[in-house]
Amino acid sequence: MAATITRPETDVSELEDLSYELREKLLLLCGEYDGSVHIGGDLSCADILTLLFQYGMHVDPQDLRNPERDRFVLSKGHAAVCMYITMAIRGFFDYREIVDTYGQLGSAYGMHPCKVQLPGVEVSTGSLGHGLPLATGMALHGKRSGMDHRVFTLMGDGETGEGSVWEAALAAHSNNLGNLVAFIDRNRQLMTSFSEERVKLEPYPDKWRAFGWNVIEVDGHDMAALVQAFDSLPAPDSDVPTVVICDTVKGKGVDFMERNLAWHAGSLNDTDLARALASLAHGRKAA
Amino acid sequence: MSTAAKTVTAPGTDQITSFTFGELLSSRTVIGQTLKELGETHDNLWVLTPDIGATLVEFRDTYPDRFVDVGLSEQACVGIAAGLANEGNIPVVSGMLPFLSMRALEQVRSDICYPNLPVKIVGTHGGLVGNGGSTHYAVEDLGLMTSLVNMTVTSIGDPLMVGEVLRQSMAMTGPLYIRLAVGKKDKVVYEPGSVQIEIGKGITAREGTDLTLFAHGETVSQALDAAGILAREHGINARVVDMFTLKPIDEDLILRCAEETGRFVVVEDHLTYGGLASQIADVIADRGIRLDGFRRLGIPQVFAGFGEDTELRDKHGYGLQATVDAALAVTA
Repeated sequence: MAATITRPETDVSELEDLSYELREKLLLLCGEYDGSVHIGGDLSCADILTLLFQYGMHVDPQDLRNPERDRFVLSKGHAAVCMYITMAIRGFFDYREIVDTYGQLGSAYGMHPCKVQLPGVEVSTGSLGHGLPLATGMALHGKRSGMDHRVFTLMGDGETGEGSVWEAALAAHSNNLGNLVAFIDRNRQLMTSFSEERVKLEPYPDKWRAFGWNVIEVDGHDMAALVQAFDSLPAPDSDVPTVVICDTVKGKGVDFMERNLAWHAGSLNDTDLARALASLAHGRKAA
Repeated sequence: MSTAAKTVTAPGTDQITSFTFGELLSSRTVIGQTLKELGETHDNLWVLTPDIGATLVEFRDTYPDRFVDVGLSEQACVGIAAGLANEGNIPVVSGMLPFLSMRALEQVRSDICYPNLPVKIVGTHGGLVGNGGSTHYAVEDLGLMTSLVNMTVTSIGDPLMVGEVLRQSMAMTGPLYIRLAVGKKDKVVYEPGSVQIEIGKGITAREGTDLTLFAHGETVSQALDAAGILAREHGINARVVDMFTLKPIDEDLILRCAEETGRFVVVEDHLTYGGLASQIADVIADRGIRLDGFRRLGIPQVFAGFGEDTELRDKHGYGLQATVDAALAVTA
């Protein structure tokens, strides 16, 4: 494993707290920002991003270009703000700066992440279906160079309707990229519809298996299960790419947003923000 | 340029021991040999292809760890190249331009141009060449590519020039597009060493004072042939400029040609709008240049049909005779 970068020693309970902090900070930003935030898909992938940045990945906020670091490609680029805040919690960025400048003229923190404007972001994304090919190229470099870091990407399930995803799935399998790990935020919602009603992705794990991938299925909001899934990843020098299909809920943690097509994106007035924070807190007590 | 047979050794292309000047050479062969040569000096040079490129075999066999054939997946091919460039590599994507420039256009734009990565896209079938029909002709590609921020755009006819441009491109920090015709049998236009090749600078392939014929790629030889006819049969002294870099366009050279010749004919194997003629027209408009004549010859708004290259150029009004006629019209 990557020798010079150590992973944080967080346990499941600490990770749950960090996930909660992430969701709370997301909602607060959503309340402060005048424009629309992709809050539904942010909340569905909050636990996955917490797992990666606060537990799984070898990354160092003080050493952004360390060649031994694990790479992360946010293929679902519209969850950028969720990534920014996760990374802020990890020490990459300043949360207050994100809230104060998000989406504003001259800010590095935009709706979709840009590596040129924001060092620490590995790849500029936004258009869906681009992340897996990019991550495949990065993993190919690592594999052929004999390096032992991993390349992670996070896709939404909806974006796997893009053909480029499956082109890259073929290429990753054909090139034996065991150092490539794709997390899928399987929240079963597109922007305007529920995926299985409009686009029948099932049998979804079988599709990935048919493309030669190692498939792990996990509850994407059960931190203990996520940690277990991460710990069971094949070694980076293995030959089969892995997809971790995370069963998630769009809007997770806020009752009036969960599985609600109206909350793909939106903004929160003071009343809704209070309701959202109360719902989040209530859910935590119940758990 | 002389087309007299003369055997010379091309500088920097040791593997090509000699060729007969004025005869035909394969750009694809030059690319294959140049990439192999550059692979030795640049250990971060990768070559990728979506199932095209028998002439990449030398590179593949010499540097198998830096060669990727993804099969028929242009989008993934360009995305993977961008991923490799993110890791500090210099990827060259080789394929057929109608597909690289259109099917993978968004990957070119958002994955390569947006982060300004040093990916080179080199391909064939620019223009009405290869007799594949309109699915296999890249006729909009220069319009698409020149509109992309950060992209440098070239179109090359002389096969030895392709090698030189590839060599120069190793120092570039941003993306590059290299357009070729079929790339199997290309006329060596320039005697090696006789012209200075520099990305961003047009080449004056023939001096002249009555008008300037601007061309790129394969139409450079046609423009030279037209200039020969104009001189012999009409006493007209045409300058020929090989504007092999369409972006950034050589504005100084356009200004100089306007001052010294006053009349322009642009001939290109591309739609008449969106290619070199449009680039030049933009400079003329922006700089307030007054010309005594301007004609653009190229593909009109049609799907061009089947036929040999020269037949199609004649049919659609930008062949040799049309070039001569346009020159006569602007100088009349």
